[in-house]
Amino acid sequence: MTLADYLPIGLMLLLAGLFVFVSLVMSKMVSPDRPTPEKLDPYECGIVPEVEAIQRFPVKFYLVAMLFVIFDVEIIFLFAWASIWTALGWYGVAAMLIFTFFVMETLMYVWKRGALDWNVKRRARYVSQETSEAA
Amino acid sequence: MIEITTPEVSWIAILPELVLALGAVGVLLVEVQWKPATRVLGAISAITLVIAIFFTFLQWAQAGDALEVGGLDELVAFSGMIVMDGFAVFGRFVLLVMAGLGLLAGWRLVERLNRRGAEAIALVLLATTGFSIMVASNNLVMMFLGLEIGSISLYILAGLTEEKTKADEAAMKYFLLGSFASAIFIYGVALLYAGTGQLEILAIRQFFTEFIVTRPAVILIGLALIIVGLGFKVSAAPFHSWAPDVYQGAPSGVVGYMAAMAKIAGFLAMARILLTAVPQLDDSWLPVIAGISALSMLVGSTIALVQSDVRRLLAYSGVAHAGFILTGIVGGATTGMLFYVTVYAIQLIGAFAVVAVVSGPSSSGSSIDEYRGLARRSPALGAAFAVLLLGMAGLPLTSGFVAKFGVFSEAWANGYGWLVIVALLASVISFAFYLRVIVAMYMDETEEEGIVVSLAARWVLTIAVAGTVLAGILPAPLIDLAADAFSL
Repeated sequence: MTLADYLPIGLMLLLAGLFVFVSLVMSKMVSPDRPTPEKLDPYECGIVPEVEAIQRFPVKFYLVAMLFVIFDVEIIFLFAWASIWTALGWYGVAAMLIFTFFVMETLMYVWKRGALDWNVKRRARYVSQETSEAA
Repeated sequence: MIEITTPEVSWIAILPELVLALGAVGVLLVEVQWKPATRVLGAISAITLVIAIFFTFLQWAQAGDALEVGGLDELVAFSGMIVMDGFAVFGRFVLLVMAGLGLLAGWRLVERLNRRGAEAIALVLLATTGFSIMVASNNLVMMFLGLEIGSISLYILAGLTEEKTKADEAAMKYFLLGSFASAIFIYGVALLYAGTGQLEILAIRQFFTEFIVTRPAVILIGLALIIVGLGFKVSAAPFHSWAPDVYQGAPSGVVGYMAAMAKIAGFLAMARILLTAVPQLDDSWLPVIAGISALSMLVGSTIALVQSDVRRLLAYSGVAHAGFILTGIVGGATTGMLFYVTVYAIQLIGAFAVVAVVSGPSSSGSSIDEYRGLARRSPALGAAFAVLLLGMAGLPLTSGFVAKFGVFSEAWANGYGWLVIVALLASVISFAFYLRVIVAMYMDETEEEGIVVSLAARWVLTIAVAGTVLAGILPAPLIDLAADAFSL
């Protein structure tokens, strides 16, 4: 590929930029601008918003997110292996088993330590047991 | 149907790492299942380390045989990912011994952490796994993986204490700056790959013997980024600013271990990349390394003069030592560097073991005032600290002198006389701040009571002092060992 072959891509880039520029700037220049408080609301119809959209929520949801990431990554690896497992042979089986062992070991560890308890009181009991032993 | 050639598996090449990883997992699982006494976990980790060290002996024998008989190809395992040359095995052995010493030095912290103690033990074993992969890797991506396994374990260790705020700050700083440095390192690897088309260190060397690169800009930028990334990990100036804060905030029980591990693995990786992969480009990188080395020595030893906290003082002395060790790489040989790294790691762990005894194993401050009259409170502890500090300073008859003599003479022979003169100057300056601590320990009066030194700390200090003195009086065996640690 020579540099000339990239010309269509360059043109496309230019057109895309122009399109954004023209549509944003032109609509700003052409359209009438008479704002009212209602018009500036996130939703022009419906009930009046009372609180901020960004709120704090319990930390346990992050736990779910973390678990999801861990198992998602495992599934990604498993999927890649499963789609060509015949080609990989026993080497692939052994590698996957080793990998799965370490994921499962981690799961067992956090489970046993009470990190998976949704009930905060039960988790707190585990923590207090820990600190009382320390005292 | 796709044909995939799976790499040949050579278990012996990774047995120490396998044992370490399984040991770490074992410690965690045994802890959650049976909740045994901390001593049991200590025994498991000790057995793990002993088995791993035993396997390094096997590897050493095999590497030696291969060198004599000529089957060097067999030492490259897993499709060129791992090498088992003497350099890697020597590095592994040193890392494993330091892990054992580090665990002993941090044992009071482990006990104080109680249930979390198992996590500290497991993290120490995992960090050792990572760094030992790093020194044994022949592939730059593998090296990065090892670096990350080790570094991430160290980030957590830096915050693993019951005194929250200070340790959290240290861990956060270490994590942010450390990840940044890792990113710089891997970017350098990517550029080196872009320039040479190779990731394997031996293949990169082959590339430079076969081709003459007329426009090496990409390769040189990549190399510069790699040097920056690793320079951060070994806290060489001007990439050292994290070290004093982290050393001060992290629990002192593990700081010695953290610093020693990162330094050993970082310098070995740097030597492997610079001396094995790109020796042809030494016109470009030698002046850079010499500059970093000179800057580290001067910055480290002058700033250490005005420190009032023993941990910060040791951190800046570590910056100076990074400079001294780099003179070994400037010398173009690995013997002096390997010897230096080994004896310095022992001194570092010993010195922080003293800090852990005097100032407590957690993140409490360690002002130099606490060390006034230490020799009266506990003569043995004061003497041990004095020997270790003099060893770091490089007093004759200690290992530090032999180590400095080794790297300086290598640099001198390679035509870097000015660097040796700077290094001698920095050594003289460094005597001042080491002596300041020793004077405070011996000359000042104190009202404080005597100190009880735990059995584990006594073991560490005995080994560290014995190592420092023995390697100073009879350095030949260790130097021979380092000289036999050939690199492929």
